Amino acid sequence: MLEIENVTKNFGALTAVDNVSFRLGDTTISGLIGPNGSGKTTLFHLITGFYKLDTGNISFLNRKIDGLPPHIISRKGIVRTFQQTRVLPFLSTLDNLVAAAPGQLGENILPLFFRPARVAKEEAENREKALSILETLGLTKLRSTPAGDLSYGQQKLLEIGRVLMADPKLIILDEPTAGINPTLIRHLVTILENLAEQSVKIFLIEHNMPLVTELCDKIFVMDSGSLIFSGTPAEVHNNPRVIEAYLGREKDAAEA
Amino acid sequence: MTGYYTQLIVNGIVAGSIYALFAVGLAMVYGVFKFINFSHGELITWGGYLALMFSSPPIALPLYLAVIPALLLTVGIGLAQDCFVFRPLRQSNPISILIASIGLSYLLRNGIRLFWGSDLQSFNLPLSTGIIFGDIYITRIQILMVLSALLFFSILYFLLTRTLLGKSLRAVSDNIELSSIMGINMRKVTWTIWILASVFAGSGGILLALDTSLDPMMGMNSLIKAFAAVLLGGAGNIWGALVGGLFIGITENLSVAFISPDYKDFISYGLIFILLLIKPRGFFGIAGGVR
Amino acid sequence: MDYLYHILIIALIYSIFAQSLNLELGFTGLYNFGHIAFFGIGAYASALLSLSGVPIPVAALIAIGLAGIAGAFLALPTLRLSGDYFGIATLVFAEMVHLLFLNERDITRGPMGLPNIPRPDWIGTGVTSLPLLLAVVFFAAAVTFILLRIITNSPFGRSLKVIREDEFVAQALGKNTFLIKTKAIVTGSAFAGLAGVLWAHYITYISPSDFTLQETILVLLCIVLGGKGTHWGPVIGAFSIIFFAEFIRFIPIPSEYTRFVAPLQGMIYGFILVIMMLKRPQGLISESRGQRTTNA
Repeated sequence: MLEIENVTKNFGALTAVDNVSFRLGDTTISGLIGPNGSGKTTLFHLITGFYKLDTGNISFLNRKIDGLPPHIISRKGIVRTFQQTRVLPFLSTLDNLVAAAPGQLGENILPLFFRPARVAKEEAENREKALSILETLGLTKLRSTPAGDLSYGQQKLLEIGRVLMADPKLIILDEPTAGINPTLIRHLVTILENLAEQSVKIFLIEHNMPLVTELCDKIFVMDSGSLIFSGTPAEVHNNPRVIEAYLGREKDAAEA
Repeated sequence: MTGYYTQLIVNGIVAGSIYALFAVGLAMVYGVFKFINFSHGELITWGGYLALMFSSPPIALPLYLAVIPALLLTVGIGLAQDCFVFRPLRQSNPISILIASIGLSYLLRNGIRLFWGSDLQSFNLPLSTGIIFGDIYITRIQILMVLSALLFFSILYFLLTRTLLGKSLRAVSDNIELSSIMGINMRKVTWTIWILASVFAGSGGILLALDTSLDPMMGMNSLIKAFAAVLLGGAGNIWGALVGGLFIGITENLSVAFISPDYKDFISYGLIFILLLIKPRGFFGIAGGVR
Repeated sequence: MDYLYHILIIALIYSIFAQSLNLELGFTGLYNFGHIAFFGIGAYASALLSLSGVPIPVAALIAIGLAGIAGAFLALPTLRLSGDYFGIATLVFAEMVHLLFLNERDITRGPMGLPNIPRPDWIGTGVTSLPLLLAVVFFAAAVTFILLRIITNSPFGRSLKVIREDEFVAQALGKNTFLIKTKAIVTGSAFAGLAGVLWAHYITYISPSDFTLQETILVLLCIVLGGKGTHWGPVIGAFSIIFFAEFIRFIPIPSEYTRFVAPLQGMIYGFILVIMMLKRPQGLISESRGQRTTNA
């Protein structure tokens, strides 16, 4: 469903993503791994339109999406989270979710005055949906708390909830479990697996290898901006290049 | 007729060298502290008015001596700005700092009006005789303006490239957090920046006042030009501020030949607008700071 | 009593002006330092049209529309800029508009200004018209308050806050942030135009010096003092500032000192801005965090 062809992104003299090509077919959950600075997050920014690519093509459901602004890509069904949690701190937990509902009529000014009943109905439906997502996330009690007051892990969950609210076809998660405790990680895994059953595709960056192995059907490995390997978790574990990319880097770091 | 244009260009160089003095201070503060200091304009105004005060009765120092206490007090105002407002706000969000600097600017501008009134004032100098080169007329003050700008820029260049203090200054504008970890004396760097910015602004203000006149709005008007110069030249290079200042000065003076003089300011404002459109983060990146 | 009418009218006009800026600054996080331009455009347009014989209600509507269009004109190029750059660009825009008022003498009469701006016949002139004028201005202020309250409490208002809190998140959630911000600026500018229209027809004389950075700072102060991003904050701010300014006039000051009054007042305003940022950046009323932003 997602096709990436010869994508390159330079920042000045640095090539952050170097001629990367791959496709995300029918795989339900795919992982993207690689050492820090290998270009994973940059690639996510390129897919979601936050960075403009220098060369190459990206298409989603057979339509070209590179060059489109982020909000259009989001409306086409690719919805993302950010590496550092970005909840809307002053808005309530519930409003963080309701705000994410796509295509709200009430986000235009004129319908507020000419079709108020329709806007109210839509808002009530979105609110109901948001409440049921809060239930799934286990955050119902905190619904009127400002999102900025939630714990780090709860904020991470809320971000996932926000993505769910947006009716995505493909979810892009940048380190969803970084910095949260094991109980919450299990909770998150359950949520992701449930999603996968509802035929939503998931593509995630993750450093927690056991988790990647458990969750993902297919893993892509990047190093220094290039895609060096892709395959099943078992294949990745036994591939010498992948091991070198990780261990070699650590050896360099140890010597430095 | 070529004489007319040359004269306009000379006027532009004179005005531009002063804009450059304002611009470089604005850019240095932006480079390190990452905010546009609206009250920078009031350092310009206070410099001019203080020199007027020390050179008029009852103190009545000769002008070249009056400049010294005037600049010292301007530096005092600059350091006080940092000490009482900007240092306590250093961790605040950028907008709070911006609003505070607007408030500070208004406070200081009305301070001028309180002490000296709102009317135009000028130094009671004997009408300085100009020098004529062919078709071009230039006053001694104007020559002094250009020479001072060159002198100040040379000193700054020497300071930044040949001294340890200059090196720490450049390091700080690259990365303020890292620099304080690396043992750079932040207090010293902060003081240096505010002292330099204040001296440059104050001297520019005095020179501008000598050439034209004094009014409480002179700082604010010059600030917008200086900002245009920073956008144009970029803070990436102190010579960038000089070039940017000269460009703004020459453009607005040359425009007089083509459109009504009433629209002189309109031209430089329009230029800022266009610059922001094509280079939203400024040429050479203002965020680059002093280098 | 007549003087009280006058103060109330001015305070209500300023409350409309402050509320219109609050939509941009408080709710959307757009630091528009050139908002006075739209107040001025509203005032000049309505004054010029009605002076040339256009019926006042029509002139007023056209003026409000023009202010809104001018808002779009400002928004299109400047909205790509972030934070302080947007602030500078808007400030420069207002200076350019001011210079146009000053220099297009054939149209605006330049620094001499426009005198004898008409009022509707049924309001009339002189002291007797004051209660009626107050009623009209109060009605306009109430309508502004209600409309802006509906707008900001709606899903649209929530999307403004999403943009204010994190523009990247808004984009990632499929919000066309550019369009939404443009709508906020156009709406804000139109209401600023309304305030300008009321000003022009109440004072009946306008000149370019009414529309300068000084007024921008005054309205900024109203919002910062009252509490940005709240419904009542700008209203309370506007009333506090206007009543303070008028109160000063009643202090018996020997005539040789009167020239110090205006600068001192300015210093106090500047000082309040600085102190608010240092001690209470959220304003007198703070935006309640986590409040439900929708009425449903």
